Amino acid sequence: MIGLEDYLTVSAILFSIGVVGVVMRRNLFIILMSLELILNAANLAMVAFSRFSNNIDGQMMVFFIITVAAAEVAVGLALLVALYRRRQTAYTEDLTNMKL
Amino acid sequence: MKVSIIGLEISVILLGIALLLVDLWVPARYRKGLGYLAVLGLGVILVSSFSMNASEAHYAFGGMYVLDQLALFFKRFFLLTAIIVLLISIEFSGRIRTGLTEYFSLMLFGLAGMMFAASSHHFALLFVSAELITVTFYVLVSFQRREIPSLEAGVKYLVLSALSSGLLVYGIALVFGAAQTLDFQALSEKAGQLGNDPLFLVGMFFVVAGLGFKIAAFPFHVWAPDVYQGAPIPTTAFLAVGSKAAGFALLMRLFFSAVPDFVVQWDLLLLILAAVTILYGNLCALPQQNLKRLLSYSSIAHAGYLLMGIAALSQSGSSAVLYYLAGYLFAVLAAFAVVTVVSNQVGAEDIASLAGLNRRGPLLAAAMTLAMVSLTGIPPLAGFFGKFLLLKAVLEQGAATTAHTGYYWLAGAAIVGVVISIYYYFGIIRTIFWSKDPEDLSPIPVSLPLRATLCVCLFGMLYLGIFPDYPLDMATEAVRALTF
Repeated sequence: MIGLEDYLTVSAILFSIGVVGVVMRRNLFIILMSLELILNAANLAMVAFSRFSNNIDGQMMVFFIITVAAAEVAVGLALLVALYRRRQTAYTEDLTNMKL
Repeated sequence: MKVSIIGLEISVILLGIALLLVDLWVPARYRKGLGYLAVLGLGVILVSSFSMNASEAHYAFGGMYVLDQLALFFKRFFLLTAIIVLLISIEFSGRIRTGLTEYFSLMLFGLAGMMFAASSHHFALLFVSAELITVTFYVLVSFQRREIPSLEAGVKYLVLSALSSGLLVYGIALVFGAAQTLDFQALSEKAGQLGNDPLFLVGMFFVVAGLGFKIAAFPFHVWAPDVYQGAPIPTTAFLAVGSKAAGFALLMRLFFSAVPDFVVQWDLLLLILAAVTILYGNLCALPQQNLKRLLSYSSIAHAGYLLMGIAALSQSGSSAVLYYLAGYLFAVLAAFAVVTVVSNQVGAEDIASLAGLNRRGPLLAAAMTLAMVSLTGIPPLAGFFGKFLLLKAVLEQGAATTAHTGYYWLAGAAIVGVVISIYYYFGIIRTIFWSKDPEDLSPIPVSLPLRATLCVCLFGMLYLGIFPDYPLDMATEAVRALTF
């Protein structure tokens, strides 16, 4: 029987992979994917809590999160494409225009 | 549920959509006029908000949305901010090459997000309104997409802000797991017993981290300097006032209507956060040469001052936060309006470009000087009375707390912060009046609408500083909706 803990473990692993990805990776597209991973970790946790406590609120919240994530990716990708056109780069170490 | 409860937000969104439609029939050279149309529309909405009665709370969407005095206070605050920021963007419009109307209407959509944030009474609305603000700001920050600093600022804001919303969402999931509810009303009944539940603690920590990003408090401030510097000036102004105030609105709702029994355990954490933010912001502002970057560090410091009011966990603390925000609005927007005019003329955003401003544009020099004096907190301007109220609230709480002396240390840190800030704020004033004369001493023309904007800001700073009674009553009335 798969219980709540198992779902939460997977969710925590996804969350950690996401955070490590954002912090460690240098490619902006991979960072964007890692950000999506974090949101989906939250979705999984939300659905699991909702299922095991018979409280539908969590699943309603997941729909909002999915919608917002889609909007975020749409704007984010457009931004990265604009940056790539202008600078021919998708790496964070090239974003050093503003320093003290 | 009556539609009139969310009437203000609906009107703002309709205004934004109307602008986009009207744009189709307006030739490019008249597009600036659409900005005035938006200002006019917002003015009407702001005036009509005074006909709304919120002396008792109205709820909509099954308790998700609340309209009370606090919500109404913040809605008026955001409307006023947006009006002034739109006037600044009209001044700035020459430097936005394409999509001027989209720029105006995105500001209106962001404003709608802020107004919803002021009313959120459920984690779903908290999250969605916070994201509505953030996603519109991704576009607003990177709007000059042919200029590399703007794009770079946009990408940095995107990554860090999406990370913070990830933390916020994960935190909400954990809080939901622990409390079995997302509604603030239901949560407030349970929060007292959840204080030892690790799931709830971690969840709340993530949520506060996510909101800490919005207000740019240490250690979630890393995005602020670069984004403030790279973004178009009106966007920076909107970020510094609107987005920050929305963060505080959400934080106040979360702490004092969702988890009032729980947050008292976190007083030390909030104290340390406030003290470190004040000192960090002020110290880092010292060596800055770029005006926008300097104002960004100063805005971090002001987030610290405002957190003092939250950390006081009292009614007087929260009303001081509202009062301080009002004074901060006029001072910061006046400063950004001056920066816009000067950088349009000179083409630079350095402090040095203000040299000789007292002869080139006396009104600009006066506005900048008073804004800096108010931000420092010198009487008789708004900033002084705001800081006075915040310190008073903190000291009152210190006298009532026997467990630790943290409140006195916080008050000390705030005073040290003010002393440090005198150096860089007065550095700007010195550059205006006493620097070596620049070669170009031609007068800087100021358009009539911007002149009016500056006068409104000056009036606001002086009024709040000299006649604090009525606004303070309003702020006290507004925080009555919260529990302490």
